[in-house]
Amino acid sequence: MSPLAVIGRLENDAHTRIIDVDTDFTMDEVVDACLAPAVGYQARHPKPGAKLRVRLTTDSDDAEPFPRSMTVADAKLRHFQQIDIYVSDE
Amino acid sequence: MALLERSAWYDIARDTNWTPKYVDADELFPPDQSDPYGIPVSEWEKFDEPYKVSYREYVSVQREKDAGAYSVKAALARSSYYEDADPAYLSMLKLHYGAIALSEYAACQSDARMTRFSKAPGMRNMATFGMLDELRHGQIQLYFPHQLVSLDRQFDWAHQAHHSKNWAAIAGRHALDDVMMTRDAVTTSIMLNFAFETGLTNIQMIGLSADAANMGDYTFSNLITSIQSDEARHAQIGTPVLEIMVKNGRKAEAQQAVDIAFWRIHRIFAILTGIPMDYWIPLEKRDRSFKEYMTEFVGEQFERQLLDLGLERPWYWDIFLEDVGVHHHCQAAATWAWRNTLWWNPTGNVGPRERAWLEEKYPGWNDTFGMYWDVMIENIRAGHPEKSEAIGMPAMCNMCQIPISNKGGTVWEARAHQLEHEGRLYSFCSTVCKWIFELEPDRYKTFNTIADRMYNGEISPNTPENILQYMGAGVISQGGRDAHDLAWVKAYDEVEAPRTPIAGT
Repeated sequence: MSPLAVIGRLENDAHTRIIDVDTDFTMDEVVDACLAPAVGYQARHPKPGAKLRVRLTTDSDDAEPFPRSMTVADAKLRHFQQIDIYVSDE
Repeated sequence: MALLERSAWYDIARDTNWTPKYVDADELFPPDQSDPYGIPVSEWEKFDEPYKVSYREYVSVQREKDAGAYSVKAALARSSYYEDADPAYLSMLKLHYGAIALSEYAACQSDARMTRFSKAPGMRNMATFGMLDELRHGQIQLYFPHQLVSLDRQFDWAHQAHHSKNWAAIAGRHALDDVMMTRDAVTTSIMLNFAFETGLTNIQMIGLSADAANMGDYTFSNLITSIQSDEARHAQIGTPVLEIMVKNGRKAEAQQAVDIAFWRIHRIFAILTGIPMDYWIPLEKRDRSFKEYMTEFVGEQFERQLLDLGLERPWYWDIFLEDVGVHHHCQAAATWAWRNTLWWNPTGNVGPRERAWLEEKYPGWNDTFGMYWDVMIENIRAGHPEKSEAIGMPAMCNMCQIPISNKGGTVWEARAHQLEHEGRLYSFCSTVCKWIFELEPDRYKTFNTIADRMYNGEISPNTPENILQYMGAGVISQGGRDAHDLAWVKAYDEVEAPRTPIAGT
């Protein structure tokens, strides 16, 4: 395990934020890390009660979400790589 | 003894080119410093100043200007204006002086480069006066705030900001170094005199001067007007430079220089000017909105000047016009939320009346930027003002060094535009900042944002306390707090309860 910083893009938030994660984190833990400094401070949960998903940020906003149990290491996320934290129908 | 009219001797007096005998022409005027575009010196010798002035006239006029500004200051010194001024207005002064005062010395060096390295005698002549102008602007804008340090130590940032590693100072330096300090004489003139001073200085100087007068601060209003009268003169250096570039087949290069500099300075000035205009000046004192100023002074006047010179609107003109209604709103909220990182005390000042004004001037404000303020205001009203202060760090643009933000809410336009270069990921606030990087990655690739410095060991350990200390907060002066101690939130008590509860907390 080793620390890593990614850029989190939380749905509806006006800011992109630097999020400290660990390579052992699952995507659900990445979601929690992204929500912690935003929701309740300057942002609202985009859909209260819904479990948010993580995907790579793309121009067309249509990347597939990572499996919730996949780790940061397995997703091969890099330092300062941007990810979306968003409401998914899946 | 009869004196000749200026017009009888002016052209001869500034015809200072000569044929060097002891060095070759490229040693005297190295292309990378003087003219990398290879325009013949005979073309540069056609440079004709649109505004002619002799040294004797210059000194006389400048003396009058200085005497005017200092005498207004002296006359009003015994009033207690600054002691009684609105704290948010004082923040506008602190921000202005910290960002601008030492930048004037940088501008002095830019004019010095033109004075030394331009191949155009007329340009060298004008730039000499420009150099002296900027020296005056630096001195006067350090002297005036120095008198206020005993009132509030944050005014010391006028002297300190440019030497600090505060993120806002880094953003300013990065843009100004790019536009003013690191280019040849020709490109510097296009970027500084035309794109910056002709394109955007008006908004800073005229807008702030009007706001200062409305606030009753005639000392500052007079100071700014005095400075602007110099800017209006030496900014004209850029016009003949562009005419010569276009005539000699260098329109594309000239256009690119305009496009780079205009965007870079816009991103800084929108914070410096847009936030005070639309948030800090009390509602009843506001002259007009930032967008209205930009539409008149930039969207119309500058656009017309560009087209008259045979240039085009920057390729990103539509993006720019949209950004005029977005960027400063994002940064108003961000700087307020991260206010402990600032050298000034911003006010939130988005009570119900102000929100109605913002919605009128910027339709859709409540559903985008307003949602951000909703959460912070609800926390304060619920007795948790500490939750109105941000934790963590925003992502920072690798070009403009400003937090990467955009509209929130359902339109959700906030995103970093990323690219990989030599194995490193770079993040940008916009396609324009990304385009500037892609033009010349070697110029920009090694620079680190404040966020990069948190992770490359320069700020170690990267605790919140260390980050603030690195930026000078608590060292030069205390960092920012709400200028009105959150009093503006009380206006919500007089209207209905919060529109929506905090969800998901």
